[in-house]
Amino acid sequence: MLLLRQVTFYLAIAGFIGVFLLVRQMQQKPPSPPPAVEPARSPFAASVAATGILEAARENVKIAAPKPALIQKVAVEVGSKVKVGDTIIQLDDRESRARLNTLRAQIEALRAGLKADRVMQADAADQLARAAQLAKANVISVDERKRREFATQNWDARIAKSEADIAAMDAQLQQSQTEVDVLTIRAPRDGTILQVNVRAGEFAGTTPQEPLMILGEVEKLQVRAEVDEQNAPLVEAGRPAVAYLKGDTLRKLPLRFVRIEPFVIPKRSLTGDSAERVDTRVLQIIFELDRPEVPLYVGQQVDVFIERAPTPVAANPTTSPAKQ
Amino acid sequence: MYHLALKMLLGDRAKYAMLVGGLTFATMLMTQQSAVFFGLLKWTTSHLSNMRAKIWVVDRNVQQANELKALRDTDVNRVRSVTGVAWAMPIYVTIQSAKLADGNFKPIMLVGLDNTTLVGRPPIMLRGQLEDVRLPNSIILDELGIQRLSVGRAKPLGLGDTFELNDKEARIVGICRADRHFFGYPYAYSTYTQALQFAPKQRKMLSLVLAEPAPGWTAEAAAKQIQLETGMKAYTEDELFWSTIRWYFRNTGIPVAFVSIIVLGFIVGTTISGQTFYAFVHENLRHLGALKAMGASNGLLARMLLVQSFTVGFLGYGIGVLLVTLFGQVVLARGDPPFMLPWQLPAATFAIVMGICAFSALLGIVKVWKVEPAIVFRG
Repeated sequence: MLLLRQVTFYLAIAGFIGVFLLVRQMQQKPPSPPPAVEPARSPFAASVAATGILEAARENVKIAAPKPALIQKVAVEVGSKVKVGDTIIQLDDRESRARLNTLRAQIEALRAGLKADRVMQADAADQLARAAQLAKANVISVDERKRREFATQNWDARIAKSEADIAAMDAQLQQSQTEVDVLTIRAPRDGTILQVNVRAGEFAGTTPQEPLMILGEVEKLQVRAEVDEQNAPLVEAGRPAVAYLKGDTLRKLPLRFVRIEPFVIPKRSLTGDSAERVDTRVLQIIFELDRPEVPLYVGQQVDVFIERAPTPVAANPTTSPAKQ
Repeated sequence: MYHLALKMLLGDRAKYAMLVGGLTFATMLMTQQSAVFFGLLKWTTSHLSNMRAKIWVVDRNVQQANELKALRDTDVNRVRSVTGVAWAMPIYVTIQSAKLADGNFKPIMLVGLDNTTLVGRPPIMLRGQLEDVRLPNSIILDELGIQRLSVGRAKPLGLGDTFELNDKEARIVGICRADRHFFGYPYAYSTYTQALQFAPKQRKMLSLVLAEPAPGWTAEAAAKQIQLETGMKAYTEDELFWSTIRWYFRNTGIPVAFVSIIVLGFIVGTTISGQTFYAFVHENLRHLGALKAMGASNGLLARMLLVQSFTVGFLGYGIGVLLVTLFGQVVLARGDPPFMLPWQLPAATFAIVMGICAFSALLGIVKVWKVEPAIVFRG
């Protein structure tokens, strides 16, 4: 064949083969990579998904200072178990104590004065008794006797005043004592200190950015699940749920329904920025869970799936889903 | 006789080269330009090839992958709540400028992947571990990004090197291969929360939700169910691909520019090869006349001309696509300019080239049909 002697013929054949291979090569679409970690899947046929946060079974207590003051001593550490009434933070009470001491000294002074007055009163009473006898015998004048009588009454009145002063000072002392007591922050209930945000020497304001401490019970945990308000009608009381820890999607934690919070709140941003604006409100649902073997920490985020009644499936003329 | 036809064709090297060259040029122009055009269109869907997922959930008014309207954080959970969805993960896409030590800056396409599952991750890691993206301030950059950010450095950027991303330090923990974006921005991947840290604060930061249909559900059915239950727009991968391409057809002048070049290729190819073949027939009219005088029928002569014309067509097309293949291989290795060769393209070019050949042959046949065998004896 004449054509077989032509270089152009072989070039053309090479072209055909080349383009065929190139098209084949370009058709190959790399398979979609599987997720690095198996995503959390709902075990229910139909579910409402929510983002949850682990918290202590009774809500965590954010410890606050009763009045702005310097912190003198932090009596507990993170993880300390406290009983109700235990001192946890000692605020600076030097000023209050000084005032207390002054008042005590003043009361002592008043008591001493009262004692002196009583002596004077006894003296006056004695003189009056004697003057009365002498007056009967007409040894001294009525005028003289009357003066003695008034002197006695005067001392009586002085004693009454001193006693009233002491009572008033006592009341002041008690107030100061209360002020001193208030500067000692005590555990409002039994629990574990989950977070300590202050150290001795820092100033405790009454409206701090973060609580001074967080107190909670870690023996029993609960999940606070937040559902978008648009999905709120799908949530039914009493339905079971499961939670997956972020980063551990294989172990599911079964949850038992506790209650639905009746108040819908603005969603707290998960970026943690306080200046974030919100336009979504969320319904909060509380679930309880038993402590599993995996370590759980209060404040951890979880993905929650709450069982719900299946919704009608969109009718699809061409492709009908096998299930539902 | 067909052997004679080929001999006639190959006898005149200059004409032969001209004929084949013309068709080669036409083939190359049409195929290569179309391939670049398709490649460019494919670049507009680079999000789809770089973040693979069966279902893409976006705001209801989003028409294409490069114009995303932010959703609310809780919309991920709304998609997860839909019957027929196995899982749904958030993605944050943003263009941020990466600042280099020498003050130079380059925009990059930052993609935030779900922290746990890393759904939407780059398919091919060249260096480093994908899981390292979960480390603080870390980023996985694509080859293009490395190349862009390494300009002016003695040594290209490698693992552990840092640059500045929106006033925050970003550390490269991996290098991946990703398809180019239409706007030419390199892709950088980080975790979702990390991407939110890098990006300036906005009210809504969720760009889109990637979802997977539950077992027993097709992507179409699940997408439809998502639209029904959430009111958001859910595309399957293919739907979004074509929606994006349609958007660029409707809203940009790129198709017009390319189509005019392709039409030009067609006209040039037709003119050159038609004219040359006609001239070739004209020149060989004496020989054809002689054949006719010897008793060759018009039909045989026409078939001979067709053999000549289609031979030229095959050779021209073959060499043309060979050049396109070479161009394609070089371009694919470089990753730039865009190049995309679906099977329809060489097939269509082949049909067009064969059409040109048939047309040229027809011109010749008309000429031969009318020729008097006596022409041999004249002049």
